[in-house]
Amino acid sequence: MLIITRISRILSNFQNLVALFAGACIIVSLIGILSLPLVFEGNQLYPKSQLDPASGLYPYNRGGVPFGTTEVICQYPENSPYAGYVTTYLTPLSLYLAENTLYLGTTIVAHPGGIIDEILYNTRGADTVVETSILFTAFAIASYLYRRREGE
Amino acid sequence: MLDIGGDNLFVLEFGDILHYYTPYTATLFLVALIFTGLVIASRPEKQVDIAFGGDAYYAKETTLSEMRFRRFMAIACGLATMGAMGSGDLFNFTLFASLVGIANIGIVAAVKSRHVLDAAYEYGIVAMVATLPLFGGAALILATTGTLSIPALAAGGFAVPLVGKAFLALGVIGEGMAPFYAAKAEMFRAPGAPYVIMCSLSSLLIFLRVVEIVITI
Amino acid sequence: MIPEYSLGLLVAFAATGIAFYALMRETDGLHRLLLTDLIEVASLAFIALIGTDLAEALILPGLVVGASELIALSEIYRVKEGYTRPPDAGLRIEVMESAPAILAALLVVYGIVLSGFSGGAVAGLGVIFYFLCCGHAERFALLETASGYSWVLWIVAFFIFMILPQYWFFAVMLSGSAILVKVMAKMSLIGTMRGGPNA
Repeated sequence: MLIITRISRILSNFQNLVALFAGACIIVSLIGILSLPLVFEGNQLYPKSQLDPASGLYPYNRGGVPFGTTEVICQYPENSPYAGYVTTYLTPLSLYLAENTLYLGTTIVAHPGGIIDEILYNTRGADTVVETSILFTAFAIASYLYRRREGE
Repeated sequence: MLDIGGDNLFVLEFGDILHYYTPYTATLFLVALIFTGLVIASRPEKQVDIAFGGDAYYAKETTLSEMRFRRFMAIACGLATMGAMGSGDLFNFTLFASLVGIANIGIVAAVKSRHVLDAAYEYGIVAMVATLPLFGGAALILATTGTLSIPALAAGGFAVPLVGKAFLALGVIGEGMAPFYAAKAEMFRAPGAPYVIMCSLSSLLIFLRVVEIVITI
Repeated sequence: MIPEYSLGLLVAFAATGIAFYALMRETDGLHRLLLTDLIEVASLAFIALIGTDLAEALILPGLVVGASELIALSEIYRVKEGYTRPPDAGLRIEVMESAPAILAALLVVYGIVLSGFSGGAVAGLGVIFYFLCCGHAERFALLETASGYSWVLWIVAFFIFMILPQYWFFAVMLSGSAILVKVMAKMSLIGTMRGGPNA
């Protein structure tokens, strides 16, 4: 049998598809191991600097003046003139917790404001829009399949 | 750097994420746009099976709700493809590619044929695990160059690791099944012509786009 | 000395190889679906290795994509295998009769205080619990409408950020509450997916 016939026979069976793709991924990760060491670029966007363990917002304290421009290292600062405003904003409740306890930092991602919200909502908002659309599509599929049963 | 796309015709700025259109990507975008328009406007085919060696034939019925659901998924797939064509940010592009993958699954998932569902499931597993090479590739490039923006990477001065590029290409292959259409041929047995063709077209387009990205950065 | 990043990459690549090897050897459909989780974790490791605030923000979409594809695929698996028998009446213990209203209310209020993603998850947990215990007749349409509108609010907030950045405060509040409602509605849909006559 010709080798190309054999290959196309394997390719045409969709049961082999996952194994085929997994094999390709294994090969690329082997290439990845061989290409080590890779140099980590020190000059990153949104770096984790200014860590201050004594702050109530540790490890998410990025400093800055509330309702003022704050330095945020983003890719295109000229596109986000208000970058830094969300970073420095705390709701009154969050502010109270930050001033009186040391533990707000661990839950800061859950409050409006903070650097993560700055990235998620403002500078990289398009990412989050696509992400919620993926969630929307997946739930549309799941709930359509689930609810179809009652109609039949 | 190789400039295969041509000059920027139009740049859309969303904060850190740029969407840019060169003659190359604008063409791909227009193809996706036209086909999405066709999907919205057209009515689905009605498949008829003929029993071989006799006069008997039977028509496969597609219910209205199934048709509407699949049209919705096809439109979502078209929008995701259009987004992926213009995206100028690696991570944003990988998210659009994942959206194309899941919308592709959705187009065929509503079909009630066991065989089609088997193929869709296998394809879905591949589309799901393909997020590792996609996100892994984008993360590797971000870590070694410090940026995700394609125009910034294209401007030169960065050593983009080869394995990062390979991961990106592999991820798009997994999301779209671009070179091996094996499972897709099985999925095409699903009735409803313009919608299933959307699967193929979108994977072809995102593959063409990732080739441009890998060559440019 | 080996730089830390390369060491981390070595582990991540090795984990990728092992996870994909497992997937390659597995032939059973359900087990393959479970193994995809192993792969998702490795992909999060690649992002986490960057170790900046950006990486933290990128992990969230990565996580959501994996979780949502898992939901869609497991429904496809169920339909494909023809598992349509509704589950039994389920667990009936006393706490499920008395506690739901107060526990759900507490969780929802706390979730609203937290707001944002985690708030939506906490509040959604409360609603799941309530629906699991107290039934869920005819609430699908309401939940789906709420989720759809909150998605639209999110998009509106995004465009405010991009086009009218001086109204950033309004946009933060809009997207924070939209994501709260959205995640909550999505999670509570899971609570209603337990079969029974109203499913």
